[in-house]
Amino acid sequence: MALSSITWATMLFALVALPGVASIVLLRSLRTEERKLELIKRQDAIDSYSPEALFDLREWIQEHPDDPYESDARQRYNECVRTLRTVDETYYNWSVQQIEDLELIEE
Amino acid sequence: MLEDRYNSPLNNGFVGINMSNSDARTAREEWGSRFGFLMAMLGAMVGAGNIWRMPFTTGQNGGGAFLIAYTILLYAIAVPGLMAETAIGRYTNKGVIGAFNEIAGGDRSKGLGLVVLIVNVALMSYYAPIIGWALYYAANSFLMTFTAPGFQPQAFWDGFISNSALVIGMHTVTMAAIAGTLILGIRRGIERVVKWMIPLLVLALIAVGIRGITLSGGMEGLAFVFTPDWTFLTRGSTWVAALSQALFSTGLGWGIALTYGSYLSRYDDVPLGGGMFTAIGNTSIGLLAVFATFPIVFAFGIEPTAGSNLLFIAVAEVFSELPGGAAWAIVFFSSFFFATFTSGIGISEVGVTTVSEETRLSRGGSVLAVCGAIWLFGIPSAYSSSILGQMDYIVGSFGLPIATLSIIMLVAWKLGPERLRVIDLNRNAGFYVGKWWNPVVKYLIPVLMTFIIGYGVVTSIGTENQRLTVVGIALTMLVITLSTVLMDLIDNSPGRTRGSTSQSGD
Repeated sequence: MALSSITWATMLFALVALPGVASIVLLRSLRTEERKLELIKRQDAIDSYSPEALFDLREWIQEHPDDPYESDARQRYNECVRTLRTVDETYYNWSVQQIEDLELIEE
Repeated sequence: MLEDRYNSPLNNGFVGINMSNSDARTAREEWGSRFGFLMAMLGAMVGAGNIWRMPFTTGQNGGGAFLIAYTILLYAIAVPGLMAETAIGRYTNKGVIGAFNEIAGGDRSKGLGLVVLIVNVALMSYYAPIIGWALYYAANSFLMTFTAPGFQPQAFWDGFISNSALVIGMHTVTMAAIAGTLILGIRRGIERVVKWMIPLLVLALIAVGIRGITLSGGMEGLAFVFTPDWTFLTRGSTWVAALSQALFSTGLGWGIALTYGSYLSRYDDVPLGGGMFTAIGNTSIGLLAVFATFPIVFAFGIEPTAGSNLLFIAVAEVFSELPGGAAWAIVFFSSFFFATFTSGIGISEVGVTTVSEETRLSRGGSVLAVCGAIWLFGIPSAYSSSILGQMDYIVGSFGLPIATLSIIMLVAWKLGPERLRVIDLNRNAGFYVGKWWNPVVKYLIPVLMTFIIGYGVVTSIGTENQRLTVVGIALTMLVITLSTVLMDLIDNSPGRTRGSTSQSGD
C-alpha cells in the first residue's frame, strides 16, 4: 500500500518534532556537560548564570529585599559575580564589558 | 568522559557534600553521569502506556491531527511542568515529603507531600503485577514458547492469568528485582541498569519497527496512525485526549522528576534535560512504539483497539508466522519488560528516597520497607485482574491528577514560579527560561488539570464507572484529609519547627 503525500508529511513532521528534537537535545545536553567539566577541571569554577538569567536574579533581589529567599538568591548572585571576575573563560556568553559592569549586592 | 566526573581530583565541584556556602545541600548521593540521569528520567516515564496506549489513542483520534494537537500541548504544558517538578527537587535537594515540608512550612498543604507518596505506592501496587506479566512473557520468549508448534495465545494468556500462584510469584520476583536494584543506590543501582536498558529498548523498537513496515500490509498500520483527519482538530474530545496523553504519559507530577531531580548536582542543567528531553524523549519512544506495533497489527489483521490484549494475545500470535519469529519475540517482549521495569524503579524510588529521609531507616531498610509494602498491597491486583482494573481507574482518574496538581500547586502557589525560575531553574541551565514560563505553571497547568479531573467525573456519570468514580472521589478526600492531619500532628510534635514561605517574592 502506497502512503499518500499528506501521510508521509505528517509522519515526517512527527519524526522531526519528536525523536529528531529529542536526539538534538540529548546530544546538546551531553556536550554542554562535557564543556562544564572541562572548564571546572581547568579553572576550578564556572559561571552559573547566563547574562539574562543573572540580570533577572539581580532585578528580583532588588524588588524583593524582604523575601525569605532573598539571602539565598543574593549568595548565588554574588558567587556568580565573583566567579566571573576570577575565571579566564566563561561558560555562558559574557562580554568583558558586561563582567566589568557587574556589582556585588551587599546585605 | 562524563562517567569520570566523580573520579576526577576536582570531585568537589560536583558532589553535594562539598558545596560552597551558597548551597547548604543535604549530604546525599548524586547522579554519576549526565547520561545516567537522562536515561533514568526517560526510563521512569516510559511505561506500558506508551507502548499500548499511544499508538491506539493516535489512531482513534484523527491520526496526524491528534499528533499535531498532542505535540502543541506537549511543548506548551508537559515541558514547562516537568521543568518545574525537576527544579523543585534540585532546589530543595529532598524527596516529596521533604520538599513539601520545606516549602509549605507550617501550612497544612504540606500534607499533600504524603498524598503524592501514597499515590505512588498505590500506583506501583498494581503496576508491579503488570511488570510481572511482561517478565513472564519475556522469559517465555527466551524459551521460544511463542513459536512452538500449536501455540495458542489466548489459551496461554488465560492459563497464565488464572494461575494466581504464578502471577503472584512473578509479582514477587519483580519486586525482589526492583528492591535489588534500588538497594544498590542511585549510581550503582538505578543508573547502572537504565544506562543499558533504555538504549536497548530504543534499538529493539527500531528493529521491530523496521521488520513491521517491511511486512506485506504493514504500511496500512502507518496509514491508520499518520493519515490526518483534520476534522478531529475541531472536536473537543481530540484535545482532551491529547491533553490527557501529554500530562499523564510524561509522568508529570508523579513525584519521580522531583525525586530524581533531588539527586542532581548544582552544576547540572534542569530545563534541557529534566524538561525538554524527558517530555519529548518519552513521547519519541511512544512514537517508536507506533512503528513497532501498528504495522504488525495491520499486517496480521489484528484489532487495533485491543489495548493490553494487543500485546499479550494479538501480537504474541504473530511471531510463529514471522520469519525469525523466535528472535523477534525475544526483542519485542524484552523491550516491553525494560520499559515497564525502569518505570517501576522510578515509581518505587519516590517512596525509598522519602522514607530514608523522613525516618531513621537506612537506604537498605527503606528499600525493604517500601518494596515490601508495595509487594503486600500489590497481591490483590496480582490475584485478580478485575481488582487491578479498578485500581487503575481510581488511581489514574483521581490519584495521579491530584498528585500532579499538588506538585504543580507547590511551585505555582507556595514557592512561586518566578522565585524558582530566577533562583534555581536558570542556574547552570542549558537554555534560558523566560518569564513566559510563570503563567504557564501558575495558571495554565492547574486550570487544565482541574478541567481534566472534572471532565472525567462528568463523563463517567451514567456509565458503568459511576460507582468507581464515587469511590475514587471519597478515597481521594479521605487520603487528603488524613495526610493533612497526620503531617500536621508530626509537625507539631516536640522538637520540630519549620518556617513558611510567603508569596511576596512572586
